[in-house]
Order: sequence, then C-alpha cells, then structure tokens
Amino acid sequence: MPPSATDRGFEALPGVALPDPAADPEAWLAGGVKNLAGLRSAGSFLLVLAVLAVFAAWVPAFLGTANLGLILAQSSVLGILGLGLTLVLITGGTDVVAGGIDLSLAGTLGLSAAVFAGLNQAGVGDAACVAAALGTGLAVGLVNAVAVLRLRIPPLLATLASMNICAGLELVITENTTISAASPLIDGLGGTGPLDVPVLGYLLLAVAFLFAASLRLTPLGPRAYAVGAHPEAARAAGLSMSRYRAGSYLASGLSGGLAGIASVAFLNSATGGSADMLLPVVATAFLGVVFSRRLVPTVTGTLLAALFVGSLTNGFQLLHVSTYWVNGIEGALILAVVGATAASAKGHAA
Amino acid sequence: MSDTRAHPSRRTLMQMGAALGAASLVQGTARAGEAAPAAGADEKLSLKGKTIAISVAGTDHFFDLKAYQAQVETVKELGGTPIGLDAGRSDKALVSQLQTLVTQKPDAVIQTLGTLTVVDPWLKKLRQAGIPVFSVDLPSTNVINTATSDNFSLGAQLALQLVSDINGRGKIVVFNGFAGVPVCEIRYTELKTVLKYYPEASIVQPELRDVIPNTVQDAYGQITALLSKYPEKGSIAAIWSAWDIPQLGATQALIAAGRTEIRTYGVDGTPEVLALVKDPNAPAGAVAAQQPAAIGRTAVLNVARYLNGDRSLPSQTFLPAIIANKANAAEVQRQLGQA
Repeated sequence: MPPSATDRGFEALPGVALPDPAADPEAWLAGGVKNLAGLRSAGSFLLVLAVLAVFAAWVPAFLGTANLGLILAQSSVLGILGLGLTLVLITGGTDVVAGGIDLSLAGTLGLSAAVFAGLNQAGVGDAACVAAALGTGLAVGLVNAVAVLRLRIPPLLATLASMNICAGLELVITENTTISAASPLIDGLGGTGPLDVPVLGYLLLAVAFLFAASLRLTPLGPRAYAVGAHPEAARAAGLSMSRYRAGSYLASGLSGGLAGIASVAFLNSATGGSADMLLPVVATAFLGVVFSRRLVPTVTGTLLAALFVGSLTNGFQLLHVSTYWVNGIEGALILAVVGATAASAKGHAA
Repeated sequence: MSDTRAHPSRRTLMQMGAALGAASLVQGTARAGEAAPAAGADEKLSLKGKTIAISVAGTDHFFDLKAYQAQVETVKELGGTPIGLDAGRSDKALVSQLQTLVTQKPDAVIQTLGTLTVVDPWLKKLRQAGIPVFSVDLPSTNVINTATSDNFSLGAQLALQLVSDINGRGKIVVFNGFAGVPVCEIRYTELKTVLKYYPEASIVQPELRDVIPNTVQDAYGQITALLSKYPEKGSIAAIWSAWDIPQLGATQALIAAGRTEIRTYGVDGTPEVLALVKDPNAPAGAVAAQQPAAIGRTAVLNVARYLNGDRSLPSQTFLPAIIANKANAAEVQRQLGQA
C-alpha cells in the first residue's frame, strides 16, 4: 500500500473488516491485532476507535465522564512512566537493542514510592517527601546517564542493572512490607477534581502537556529527534549528542520519581510489585509509536497508548471478561507494534 | 456440635460436620461456627438476575484459589452472574478493579484478602456508592459481613500447640511479612499474647519477612541462612509463620539441613503442608487447617441472604478451623477430603 494512502488514509476504512465481537472475542481480537500491524497508523486509530465503540455500545457507562476519568487515573502511573521512556526513545533511537531504552523506570517508581512513604511515616512533611522522591528519580537518571554515556555500557544492560539496584534499595527501605502513607498531598492527589475526574488523571494530562509543549514549542524537540533518528546530521549540525541523551535519562528518572508519588496516592501506600510495571511501560512506549503518523515515538502517541491499555482493562471488566485476557492482549500488541516498526524500517532500507 | 448451622454444599457440609466431630477430639479446638447464619434445605436462597463481583487479591495459593472458586461456583449455583476479578497479587490491579466496580455497579461485591490500607478506601467508596460490600478473610468497618475462620482462637491454639511442643522454652523464628493483612496480624498478636506467659520462650530478632511471590524458595533460603547462624542443635526450637506457604519452605530447608529437631507451625492447611505434618519424620509440627471452600461459599450465601432482605447478618461469620498436629493429621486430611 502506498504510504501516502495509509498514513492519512481513512480510505483504509473498508479494510478494517472486524468480525462480530459478540460471536467470538478471540477471533475478533486476533483480527484486530492483524489489522493493527498491517494498517499501521490510520488502521491503529480505527482499531482503537472500534474497540472503544464496542465497549460503549455494550456498556453505556463506559463513556460516562466518571468512568473516563477513572481510566485516566488508572493510566496515570503507567502513562507518566511511558512518557519518560518516550523521551529516551526519541533521543536514543528506537532500535530495541542499540537504541535508547530505560528499563529502570519501574524500579525507580518503586524506590521513589518507598522513599516517599518511608519519609511520610517518619513524620516528614509533604514538600520534603516530594523533593526526596523526585531527587531519587533524578539520581537514578544520573546513574543511567553516566553508565550509558561515560562508561559506554549498552542502555539495555545499564538500565537493567540500575533497575536491580532500585529494586534492592526499595527492599532495604520497605523490608518488603507495605508502607502506608497519609498526608494532605496524598489525599489531594488521590481525590477527585472538577468534572468527576480524579486528580491523578489531571496530573497525567499535565505531564503530557508539559512534555509535548517542550518538544513542540522549543528547539529541544527537533534537536532531540535529530539526535535520535539522524545522529550524523545532528553531529554535523554541531549538537552535543551526549548532552541530549543524558538529559533524556535525567528527565526519564524524574518521571519515575513523579510516578512514584502518583503511585503512593493511588494505593495510599508504597507496596511491592512495581517490577510488574516493566513490561507494560515498554509496551506503552512502543505501542505509542503506532499512533504517530511517521511511526516515531511521540508524547501524544504514548499518552494514547497508555489510555488505550487502561481502557482495555477497564472495558473488559465492564464487559465481565476475565482480567486474564488483558495480559495476553498486551503481549500480542507489542509483537504487532515491533513487527510493524521493523517492517517499515526494512521498507525504508530497501 | 450438630448445631453448627453451617450451610455449604452437601459434600463440604459432610466434611465440616466431620471436621467438627473431630474438633471435639482435639484438645483446644476451634469453636464451631459461632454466629454461622442459619441455612438448610428449607431455605431457598437465590441470586437470580443478580451480578456479584468476586474480587480477589490473587489466586496463587491453596486458600485463595479454593475460596475464589467456591464463590464463583456458588454464585452460579444460585442463578447469579459472577464477575471474577483476580488482581494477580498486584495492588495496582486490585485498586483499579475495585474502582471500576463503582462504575460497574454490581449488586454486591465480595473482596477476598488484600492489604487493608490499600483496599479499604475503595471498599468505602463502593459502600458510599450504595453497593453492598462483603469480604472473605478481611474484617473492615466498610463490609457488611466477613466470612472467615476465627483467627483469634486458631491463632491462640496454634501458639499453644507450639509452646506445648517445645515445653515452653527456646528460641522461636517468626515470619512476619504481612502485618498489613488483618488475619495475619491477628494470628501474630495471639502468638505474642500466648508467649507473654512463657517467659523462657522468645522470638528471634529481627523477625523474618515472608514474601510473595516465590514464597517457598525465599523461606527456604532465609531459613538455610539462619541455620548457619545457629548451627548448634537445639539453638532454635520452632519456626512460626502466619500462613503455611513459608512453613512449607522452612520445613523443606530443615529437612535438607538435617535440623529436624526444629518444629514448624503455620496456618491454612495446604495439602503439601498437611502431608508434612502427618509425616512422622518431617519437622512440620502443626498447621491450623482452614476450610477455604466453605468460607467462600458462606460469603456468597450471606450475600444472597442480604439481597433477599435479611438485615440480621453478624459482622463476621466464623467457619471452624482445626489444628492438625502429628497425632491427628491423618484424620484431618481425611475430613478435609485431602487424603
């Protein structure tokens, strides 16, 4: 298919032949994933819309503002982490092995949450807790930056190692127990804002807006994309590659710290199991690639991906479908996305 | 003990009756189904047209899985629609699924286990949204009724069995990783209460933390490491854990290290552990065997009673548990249908 047609193309609509979801959800999903891989950007949008339409048709409450707000809030931790990873992918390149990657994000989340809740339990005020949690994130980002750019360890290995450091330190702080946290900030973040939308939902939107604005409205954006996708051109233009890449790891660490605070607000405590977020975070950032017209990582793409994954969990529950489904679907989506990106890269090379 | 007024399926009813019968044989038995709601062939409970959400913290252990399956089956049996929600031991998934239930508005929610501080705010929101909330093994002010073993008495009895086995003296290693889970906390508190009166028995500090997942391997590793710190036979008298999966790992570690003079104690009655208690050569001292399936079933029956207008439910419905020790383990196995 000529790229001009598919990239813009709502003419691809007849191609999205979705079987009746009521008949066999499995075949319907399999078909959807196939379409997602084949039709790339436009197709993926249509697929998402189709899935949402099915949820809305079956369960009218799905589109209620309260439920949409819930999806936003339930996606907030994942979304903020995914946005952090997106910055690393933009400046490091999306090659899964050689490109930029930050596997330590889930660990950073757990460690920052533990730092926040631990200090909160010790009677430390909100401002200091926030500073400590964000500082923890920044420190992890710094370690990653040094490991990748100074020590020249491949990002995949370097961030995997820092993930383990985070997990270890988290255990030291929590002794593997749940640390509950209560404070005006936690109550506020865990509460509900205007339009029945939880405050965490607004936090996610605010972070996405901030990231999108700094990438679109300042020279940072084009330069970061140049460093990631066209390193030779960027170098020729006199851009400091390592400064941009180091910056992306610091920003990513900061996102991990912020996600830690959001997680404490969501759970009213710091609990173990943050390592489970690793795969969903990577999935979200790569899935976000499919939502961009040029198949590159973008803030909006990642935001949409996080919300899509969140609405799957929410929608399937509303449809009375077992929670077990969602895990499988997530894995299938990564395959489809990485497959589509790989295929497009091959196409460019040929 | 024919006045148990228990009400489960014919099979579990028979098992329970048998368990109760045996309970009277065992010294210091659990008190039978105190406040167990009335039931029987004449009571026609129905959940026809009702949707019941069955939210569980995870189903990776014997107790959770049996309690969960029994709830789903009983809802179906009574003509209702179960919504099965397994958080897979992820607190984030657990909170999300409870949040979504506020939108979903089922006719009732049954929450099985979970860390109280994490779960309770959302049980409260469900209650405020007018959805009746019940629980299994999770006492909370936000639930109408919790179906559970009487953890106060089983905790005390397990502790008494322990001190009796070690003649009231020696060092006790304790796994205390789930203080936020109320039933574990109750059992631990009962252990401390009993030990207060046995000054020659003491808990080894620091206490150990049991973990999920990899509970067995982790407990095995921790006990193996601890044994090298206490290499002399008799330097440790017993190992206690608030449930029996750490006990399983600890028992295996003792066998591997040849330190079978140390006895292990736990709660649940997971078949592998009960078999180790029965084995005269294994160092598993005792396990408080619960009836997870009967507990799960009771929770659903209580929901059905409530939805049919019964407003007299007690805040807790206790199902009998029984201490299985070296002397009666085979009998308990048979009664629980594990033989």
